[in-house]
Amino acid sequence: MMMSRSRRIGFGLLVSTALTAAFAAPGNAQERVPAVTIATTTEAYDPIRYEAAFIVAEAWRELGLEVNVQPTEFSTLLGRFYDQQDFDATIIGWSGRVDRLDPQFFLGTLDSRQSEPGGNNPGGYHNPEYDELFTRQSQEFDVEARQELVQQMQELYVPDAPVIVLFYRDEVVAYNNAAFEGMEAMAGEGLYSEWGPMQARPLTDRQTLRIGGPQEPDNLNPLASTSVWGWKWMRLYYDRLIRLSPDVEPINWMAASVEAVDDTTIDVTLREGLTFHDGEPVTAEDVAFTFNYYKSQSYAYFDAYLDSLENVEATGDLTVRFNLSEPSASFANIALSQISILPEHLWADIENPGELTPDQIPNIGSGPFKYDAYSRGEIMSLAKNEDHFHADEIAVDGVEFVIYADMEGVFTGLQTGAIDMTAWRMEAGQIPLAEQQDDLTVVTVPDFGYYHMTFNTKREPFDDREVRRALTQAMDRERMVNVLLDGRGEVGHSIIAPVNAFWSAPFVEQFEYDMDAARAALEEAGYSWDGEGRLVK
Amino acid sequence: MNRRSYLIRRAFQALVSLFIIATLLFFLFRWGLPDPTTALVAEGLSPEQREMVRQSFGLDQPLWRQYLLFLQNAVQGDFGYSFHYRAPVADIIWERLGNTMVLMVTAILIAYLIGVPLGAWLSWRRGTRADTVGIFAGLMFRSAPMFWTGMIGILVFGVMLGLAPTSGMRTLPYTSTGFFDKITTLDFLWHLTLPAIVVALYYLGSPLLIMRNTMLEVYGEDFIEMARAKGLPERRILYNHAARNALLPVVTQLAVTIGLAAGGQVVVEVVFSWPGLGREILSAVRTSDFPLAQASFLVMAAFVISLNLLVDILYSTLDPRVSFK
Repeated sequence: MMMSRSRRIGFGLLVSTALTAAFAAPGNAQERVPAVTIATTTEAYDPIRYEAAFIVAEAWRELGLEVNVQPTEFSTLLGRFYDQQDFDATIIGWSGRVDRLDPQFFLGTLDSRQSEPGGNNPGGYHNPEYDELFTRQSQEFDVEARQELVQQMQELYVPDAPVIVLFYRDEVVAYNNAAFEGMEAMAGEGLYSEWGPMQARPLTDRQTLRIGGPQEPDNLNPLASTSVWGWKWMRLYYDRLIRLSPDVEPINWMAASVEAVDDTTIDVTLREGLTFHDGEPVTAEDVAFTFNYYKSQSYAYFDAYLDSLENVEATGDLTVRFNLSEPSASFANIALSQISILPEHLWADIENPGELTPDQIPNIGSGPFKYDAYSRGEIMSLAKNEDHFHADEIAVDGVEFVIYADMEGVFTGLQTGAIDMTAWRMEAGQIPLAEQQDDLTVVTVPDFGYYHMTFNTKREPFDDREVRRALTQAMDRERMVNVLLDGRGEVGHSIIAPVNAFWSAPFVEQFEYDMDAARAALEEAGYSWDGEGRLVK
Repeated sequence: MNRRSYLIRRAFQALVSLFIIATLLFFLFRWGLPDPTTALVAEGLSPEQREMVRQSFGLDQPLWRQYLLFLQNAVQGDFGYSFHYRAPVADIIWERLGNTMVLMVTAILIAYLIGVPLGAWLSWRRGTRADTVGIFAGLMFRSAPMFWTGMIGILVFGVMLGLAPTSGMRTLPYTSTGFFDKITTLDFLWHLTLPAIVVALYYLGSPLLIMRNTMLEVYGEDFIEMARAKGLPERRILYNHAARNALLPVVTQLAVTIGLAAGGQVVVEVVFSWPGLGREILSAVRTSDFPLAQASFLVMAAFVISLNLLVDILYSTLDPRVSFK
């Protein structure tokens, strides 16, 4: 009985499909635009990107497109996007690591030479003019000239709409203004920048700055840590040749001078009298060792910085020469400001540095603070390095990072004075509470990392520039900011954030949300709608 | 069957259970959790670099070989290397387990030391207002979500009154030379008080109600009638005769509770930022650190199984009527 009924339904379907096809075919030769799938994170992993996908899908459906939203477990999502490039449109993101303030990295995500599987341009945007400009900017040592190239690239790619920046969100952090003052917030870093502890001025007898957060580093091994939170802490006690100032300008730090001898040779002269925390002097040998060591070890975290580095040689007690394999304008700014100098005498004999257990790691650097203690799940502490050349500018006698289980605990700690500032963003509900409390100052810093929707430009219908443009106009990003971010953020127009003012192009196309304009654009590009309202071409 | 062969058989059963759990955990975590290189991928590593990371943790080996290696090492108390912390899992677990057990055992002891006599007393006063209030309070704390009691506790005693610390095990920074040095300071007790009371309130309900109800049953027994007939004082009948006989189910409950305590109360550990095993498991799952997660669960299972074994042994000692079947 059941069998025959289902067979009959099957047969009915077959007939009606055949009929529809027969009637539709002769009248118009147009075909329906294939259904598209938007891949995004699961709701549990990130409700914001999950909801954003539905906001987009809803509007696209109104345009007559068949849209599926596919929430995907995060590593699978990354795998399909970067490695297999098996997607129509994906919502994903880039975090705002401070070295990405140099435009090299984000601009590279649209370079067609990075579009092979595993590369950073899985959407496959291909524009020879863009690629050529990318090469030119990466070899342009004149900052003003490079700025022009970088802005030109943004003006060039934006109208093609290969990648849509959904928004730049604001990070809201807070500190206790009765205990400390003087910390400037830094873009993408908040108050817990490398400068925060150096700027903080105590207002009470307590001289130790206490930062609190649930962000515990994975480990404090400079050859194994792969989290931002590991290096945010380690850079306070390991020192760098260059540091990026709070305004993100490179300033000489351990380096007395940095000189480009030619396009592929950089000479660095060290300050005199630098010492490691164990009293040994910092020499050119240590610098050369560190860079060659990172180059030779299987520590992937710094690989991107060292790509263009051939080798480093000590040319004197305090002079080092960096030989590059190709000209790179960003090398000095990025690699020299992100890679911390290790003492050769402690690391040279370690065979598998990535496998050191916590008690085997020599926590000896030459930074403005010295490693003091780390108790997992509780606290990390540093003491001021009185011998550091910057010591006179530092008012605190140490820094502590108190590790909480969640943001609720952090906020209670801030309210009761157990900590002086939050390491990273507060939860939405905590912001008004912090604003009400007199001794708390709330600071808002825009991020320059971004969530984006990338179109697969090798697949229908996203291979058509006009479709991408029209569908971008149908993305209500204003609503995402207002609803998903509680208004704390701004719609993105370029992969270089407006907060990164020097490099960001101010006058790129905006793609305001406008459904009528989107419909008109589709029509102009030769699309129309069939009897059921579905988009056809 | 005699006592010795009974014990041997029970011990053998316990080992088999442990083996099955270890196997289940191994495969569950490999199939259920995202790839451990997820955290690295987010930073934009290339496929080759990701492969390098996989190799360094032996994840490129066939699954059966990984499994055999896991069993072989686990038997020797070596649970491998944490993906996230890059440190031996065993070190992390033992330290965290210690922190958890101090909190849980303290709380459970408070709950039982108060709950048992109180339950006995309530049974004696059954039907009175004290009985009603006692049962209500026990049930209320048992049903109230612990994060809520915890947060109210923090709000009132920590934030508003400023009497208790709101997080952690001790005033930071601190110096201590070892576990016992750490837990025998006044500062530690001060930090322990609030979370221990919150957990104790939750646990109070079981001994209270079990004791009360068992006592009521015992009152009907002949030997109580006998004691009354001898003219013994009511208090002595209650605590010396009836209570002793009503203890058995409470002892069972106590052992099982302690067994389950190894996993800690995740909620309380998070609310009070207590660096215990429960909080560690939560973060291990979040970071896909499955060597750490599976070892934590294995340790918890071992605890439950061995305390169950202990209960069986205790039972036969406490109550000779229990036979070895």
